[in-house]
Amino acid sequence: MDGETPSQAEGPVSRRRYLRERRAREEAESLLDIKSRALFEANEALKVQAATLEDQVRERTAALTSAKAEAERANAAKTAFLAMISHEIRTPLNGVLGMAEALSDTGLAKAQQDMLEVMTASGQALLSIVNDVLDLSKIEAGQLEIEKIEFDLGDMLDGVLRLFGAQAREKGLEFDCHLGVSKGTRIRSDPTRLRQVVSNLVSNAIKFTTQGRVTLSATLAAPGDDGLARLAIQVTDTGPGVAEDTRDRLFKPFSQADASITRRHGGTGLGLWISRKICRLMGGDLIYAPAGAGDEDGVTGSVFSGHFSVAVQARESDGQQGQMPEAEAVLKGHPWAVLAAEDNATNRLVLHHLLKRYPLELTMVENGALAVAACRETDFDIVLMDVNMPVMGGLEAAAAIRDMEQAEGKPHCPVIALTANAMTHQVEDYLRRGIDSHVAKPVKRQVLVRHMADLLVAHRVR
Amino acid sequence: MKGMVFTELMNMAEQAIGEEAVDDILDGLSLENDGAYSAVGNYPCAELMRIVGAIGDHTGIPMPELQRQFGQWIHGRFVESYPDFFRDKANVLAMLDAIENEVHVEVRKLYPDAELPTFETEWMDETALKMTYRSDRPLVPFCHGMIEACVAHFGAPAKVTVQEIGGDGAAGGSAEFTIRLTA
Repeated sequence: MDGETPSQAEGPVSRRRYLRERRAREEAESLLDIKSRALFEANEALKVQAATLEDQVRERTAALTSAKAEAERANAAKTAFLAMISHEIRTPLNGVLGMAEALSDTGLAKAQQDMLEVMTASGQALLSIVNDVLDLSKIEAGQLEIEKIEFDLGDMLDGVLRLFGAQAREKGLEFDCHLGVSKGTRIRSDPTRLRQVVSNLVSNAIKFTTQGRVTLSATLAAPGDDGLARLAIQVTDTGPGVAEDTRDRLFKPFSQADASITRRHGGTGLGLWISRKICRLMGGDLIYAPAGAGDEDGVTGSVFSGHFSVAVQARESDGQQGQMPEAEAVLKGHPWAVLAAEDNATNRLVLHHLLKRYPLELTMVENGALAVAACRETDFDIVLMDVNMPVMGGLEAAAAIRDMEQAEGKPHCPVIALTANAMTHQVEDYLRRGIDSHVAKPVKRQVLVRHMADLLVAHRVR
Repeated sequence: MKGMVFTELMNMAEQAIGEEAVDDILDGLSLENDGAYSAVGNYPCAELMRIVGAIGDHTGIPMPELQRQFGQWIHGRFVESYPDFFRDKANVLAMLDAIENEVHVEVRKLYPDAELPTFETEWMDETALKMTYRSDRPLVPFCHGMIEACVAHFGAPAKVTVQEIGGDGAAGGSAEFTIRLTA
């Protein structure tokens, strides 16, 4: 601040004035030093603080990263444990259900047959829970795979209708169907998963509806240029519906809209979550809407609408119809030499009972090495091969059999893998490694027989 | 008190009574630092009051009047040094209203230890502002002079009335100013 004073004379400045000004200047300079120093120190302190903060951010970030990795590891371990334990439960369950099926063929008295039916139904219920948990662990591990198999959509829906129609009627409900899909409509998709979604929706509807009706409708749109068509499935009921504030829990795993549902109806709370995941994996979605939305008469109920993207096949002739009786006929028509390699005694017993109604020459061995040795000795018509066996596994054994056939100029003997952990990518792997077909455990007679008959016919023709 | 107030008092006094007279006054007061003030320093307010008193004795101008003239002088220096504060204000009332929450905020950034008076304002209507000045120092006339200079700076005529608060308060000085535009 220079304080210019225009009236000041330009003459010399007195000594006392000079000294006073100099002293004032020196004071100002010393003050400036102090202020500069203070500023410097404040600046240094800020730098240290900034560095400290950055260190802290680095440490926290590292801690969070490792906590996240730890949590992911724990979750993966949980998923792996679930998968393992479900698998371990399915193996003995396979024995229980297989033996129950075999037992029903032994001419039981009516009362015994009734008891057996309860046992079978309970076993099936347990199996479906275990399957849900296994699906959950597959989905969480990103390993749920969708197969693309050609099948009759009309037949599949018909099967669901027959199964649940009876249940609905037993409960005094009407069961309406509007199937815009006729028998003989063949599509390429995953029949197991499709059936799983439809069954889940229909069984839920029946479970929660006490009076009125359950309606299943299915429509298949005309395929687009890419050969893909939209398959829409809608299940409507006249049950209580889902309250608005609990709807967001519908599609969450292990959660049911209301905790009391678990007490009254049971269930794992996984069904809808799995169903929605399946729909999405199949290029669609699953949504909920209250029934009668827009109606004034206060109708309650639920509408679950699922849709899928499926490949539509040209309509086949009726030659494929009645496959099962034909398969039965193939097995009954010839004393086929069958080799079964299975290490588990219960499973061997199950196979024995499942196949005993056919005039087969059934040879059982306990591991892959014995299976290879047996094939060297005898020309079998077909081999049923467990995958996980001690001494030598099923895949290794199949490869050895193929090598042996090639070396000795023997004909190709079809091998069916019996797999407890059938995932699509594993199946493809099997098929590359000398396996002709696979049947998932627990083995159902109908499925096993069809696979055996297909292969036996194909190889006899050759 | 900020050194700038002292250096400006010297400047004003030198212009009015000349360097020799000012030096005589300073020498005669036996001040702590012999009257060597720099604008960036801090000095006791009592010294300012003694210097103002001595200038009054020398010129025969009463203390309050001298304070008022000094207030007008220092306002001119503010306009010169900090024109930005004045530029965007519509009138004197807007300027006075901005002292507490705008000017003093900036002052504290440069001088965190500044002991500032408070200027509480209240709009009576669109053309009148009530401003309550509170200070630990007996500088009501000084403040009055600054307000008058501020009115003159903006050009529009206004009536300034002052009502001292607490009357004969020993050290401090507080007053309620009313500034009403008259045009």
